[in-house]
Amino acid sequence: MPYTITNACSGCTACVRKCPVGAITGERKKVHKIDPDLCIECGVCGRICPVSGAILDQLGKPCTFVKPALWSKPVININDCMSCNICIDACPVGCISLSKGAGAGDNHGYPYLSDEKACIGCSFCAIECPVDAITMTAPKG
Amino acid sequence: MGKGYMGKILFVDIGKGTFKEETIPDEVYEKYLSGQGLGAYILYNRIPKDADPLGPDNILGFVSGLLTGTGSLFTGRWMVVGKSPITGGWGDSNCGGTLSPAIKRCGYDGIFITGISEKPVYLFIDNGKTEIRDAAHLWGKDTVETEEILIKEVGKKNTRVACIGPAGERLSLIAGIANDKGRIAARSGLGAVMGSKKLKAIVLSGTKRITPRNRDEMKRLSSKLNKIVQLKLPLPPGPIAAYVGTLIGKMPTQMVQDGILYKSMLQKWGTVSMNQISIEMGDSPIKNWKGSNEDFGPKISKSTNPDVFKEREMVKYHCYSCPLGCGGICTMPGKYNGYEETHKPEYETVLVFGGLVMNKEADSIFYLNELMNRAGMDTISAGGSIAFAIECFENGILTKKDTDGLDLSWGNTDAIVTLAKKMIEREGIGDLLADGPKIAAEKIGKDSIKYAIQAGGQALPMHDGRNDPGFALHYSVEPTPGRHTIGAQLYYEMYQLWKKIKSLPRPKFIYHKDTKYVADEEKAIMAAACSKYNQLFNGAGLCLFGAFIGASRLPIFEWLNAATGWEKSPEEYMEIGERIQTLRQAFNIKHGVDPKSFKPSERVLGRPPLDRGVNKGRSVDIEKMMADYWQAFGWDSETGKPTKDTMERLGLNQ
Repeated sequence: MPYTITNACSGCTACVRKCPVGAITGERKKVHKIDPDLCIECGVCGRICPVSGAILDQLGKPCTFVKPALWSKPVININDCMSCNICIDACPVGCISLSKGAGAGDNHGYPYLSDEKACIGCSFCAIECPVDAITMTAPKG
Repeated sequence: MGKGYMGKILFVDIGKGTFKEETIPDEVYEKYLSGQGLGAYILYNRIPKDADPLGPDNILGFVSGLLTGTGSLFTGRWMVVGKSPITGGWGDSNCGGTLSPAIKRCGYDGIFITGISEKPVYLFIDNGKTEIRDAAHLWGKDTVETEEILIKEVGKKNTRVACIGPAGERLSLIAGIANDKGRIAARSGLGAVMGSKKLKAIVLSGTKRITPRNRDEMKRLSSKLNKIVQLKLPLPPGPIAAYVGTLIGKMPTQMVQDGILYKSMLQKWGTVSMNQISIEMGDSPIKNWKGSNEDFGPKISKSTNPDVFKEREMVKYHCYSCPLGCGGICTMPGKYNGYEETHKPEYETVLVFGGLVMNKEADSIFYLNELMNRAGMDTISAGGSIAFAIECFENGILTKKDTDGLDLSWGNTDAIVTLAKKMIEREGIGDLLADGPKIAAEKIGKDSIKYAIQAGGQALPMHDGRNDPGFALHYSVEPTPGRHTIGAQLYYEMYQLWKKIKSLPRPKFIYHKDTKYVADEEKAIMAAACSKYNQLFNGAGLCLFGAFIGASRLPIFEWLNAATGWEKSPEEYMEIGERIQTLRQAFNIKHGVDPKSFKPSERVLGRPPLDRGVNKGRSVDIEKMMADYWQAFGWDSETGKPTKDTMERLGLNQ
C-alpha cells in the first residue's frame, strides 16, 4: 500500500521536493497527490510534512513531522559487512558509496554514507542488508 | 505482498518507437522462473522461425534473475537473450556487476527490444518514464566512454548502463554487451544483434522496491551462508601453483572436488587463481588445442601465475549481492599502457591470449583485456580467431600478403595485439576474423576448418574435454554450444546435488582417471542434472561461483520458496530447469538448427589423440555421450529433438 495525502494538505510542496521518485504532484496551496504506482513507501513525505494528519502511511496511520536534522541515518558496521553493494543499490537517493579499501592489506571497497545531507532516513539500506550490518541511528539532540 | 519478481515486462519496438508494458501471469514464473527461463518463454513464442538474427524480427531481451534483489546472495547476474547470429539458434549470455537489480528497479523482470531503428539510439528508463533518445554522439565510442557519458547525461545517481562498443556497432558476430565499464555478457554474439537494432545502450535509473515474500527468512538463510563464505581456508602461496598443477596432472587417480576450496581461491585471487594449475594439469588447451602442457611448461606459464594479477590489483570489487568478491581493478603495466586501469583479467581471457596463442607476455594480456572490454568483444572468440589465423599462417594457408604484412607466428605478441585491433576495426585480415573462427574458415576454404576450434560456430573456452570429458559433452549438447559455464564432471562434483536430491548418483570419493573416459548412463544423468540445475540457477540470477559452493550449503531452493511464497521441493525446481533447457532446445529445432551439428572440432575430442603431455592418448566418445545425454533428457537419442511425450510432460506442447 502506498502513502496517501488527505484533504488536510496545505499545499506547501515540501513533500514534492523531497520525494526521491517524483511520485507527488500538486500546485502550491492546493491538495497534493501521490501516484500509487510510483510510491516506494520511503516515508520521507510523512517526515517532512508540517501538517499533522495530512499524510497517511502504508497502514493508514497519520505521519508526524520530524526535523530533518533528527532523521535516523545508517551506521555501517564494516566488521559484519561483506561488501556486497546491496545497500548502495537499495538507496533511492544514492547517498551511500563504496570506499577504496580499508587499508592494512584489505583492498575491499566498503560502503559509507557519502552524502549525509541527501539521506532521507528511509532505512531501505538497513532493511535490505542480508547480514544486518546496518543500523539506523537517530542523531543525538 | 511481494513475490520476489516484478510481474511485468516491457516490450519496445525500437523501429516504431512504441512501448508496451505486459503483465506476466504468476503461472509463467512458476513454470520458467525469471531470467533466461522467462526469456525462453517469450522468445520461443514470438520470434518467427525464419527470422534473420540481425533483422527486425529478432527480439533482444535483457532479463534479471528471480532472486535478484530479494536479500539472497550471489544473485546479481543479468542475462541477455535472443536468436544468436553465430549458431542461428537460441542465444544467451550472462554477466554480473550491478545491472541486474537495475532492471527490476525499473519495474520489470525483462526489457525486450524488437525492430530496427533508422539511426543510433539509446533506451532510457526512469521511474515510470521510458524514452528512446538519440545516440549519434555515442556511436563509435567505446563501452567505458559510453557509460561515462550516459551517466553524466542522465544526471541521476545509481544509473546503470548496458551498451555495445565498436565491435557490436560493426556487427562483429563475436560482439557482446558491456556493463559496469567493461564487464561483458560476451557469448552468443548478441552484441551484434544490439548493433543491428542500432541500439547503443539501455540506461536504467529506476528506484522501485524489490520485495520478497519472507524477508526475515531470506536474511536468515543468507547470514548462514555468509558465515561459510567468510571462512578463510589456508592457501599455498601463488608460486606453488605450477607444482600443484603438475602433481594433479601426474596422479593416476583423483578425488571428488569440493568447491569450498575453489571459493577461497576465488576470494584471494579471482578466477585467475586456476590459470597455471589448469595449464599444468591439462585443463587449459595450448597452441590452438594441438599443443600440450609440455609446450607451455612451468617456466613459461609463470606469466599466467595468479600472483602476477594480484600484484596489480588496486581494489577488489563485488558484484551486486556477492559476499565473495572475485573481481578487481588493476593498474595497467609496462609496455602496453594507453589506459589507466582495467578490470582484473579473467581466467578465460588470460589463457586464450596466453597459452592458446603461445603468448608469454603478461603485460599484453592486461592490455588486450582492456581493448576487448572497451570494444565489447568476446575474448574467448577473439583469441580463438587469432589462434586459428596463426595456425593457418603456419601452414601457408594465410601468408603475409593476406595478413597485411603481419608475421603471425606463435607467441608473436606485437602481431597478436595488432591483429586484435584490426579485428575490432574490421580492417584487412581483421575483418575476416571478426566473426569467429568458423566463419573465417568458411570464407578462406582450403580445409582450414580443421584449425577452427569451435562447436556450432562458437569458439571454445579454455577447458579441455580431453582432461574432463564433461566439458566436451556440454560444448556439444547445450542449446548454446561451446560453453564452459554449464556442466562438466568437475561441476557435478562441486554442485553436490545428490545431497539435496536423493535420486541423483553420488560420485565415488576417489576414482581412477581412466574411468572419466568411459561413456555410460550414469554420467549422462549427471550431465543432464548439471544442465537442469544451471538453467534453474540462471533463472534465479545466481552466479556459477555460488553454485560451486555446493547445494548443501547454498540455500537456492529455500531462497526461492522464501522469496516467492511457493512450497516447491528441490525435485520440482529441477523440473523447472529441465523445462527451460528443453524449451531452449525446442527453440533450436523450430529455427532449423540440427543438434548434431554442434559436435565440436575433431581435435578437441582427441581425434587423433595428443602424443605428449598430460592428455596424451586421451579421446572422447562424443557420439555415445551425446546420445546418452539426449536420452537422459527425454529427447530423441538419435536426433536430439525433444520428444512429443517430453514436451507434453513439461507442459510445452502449447
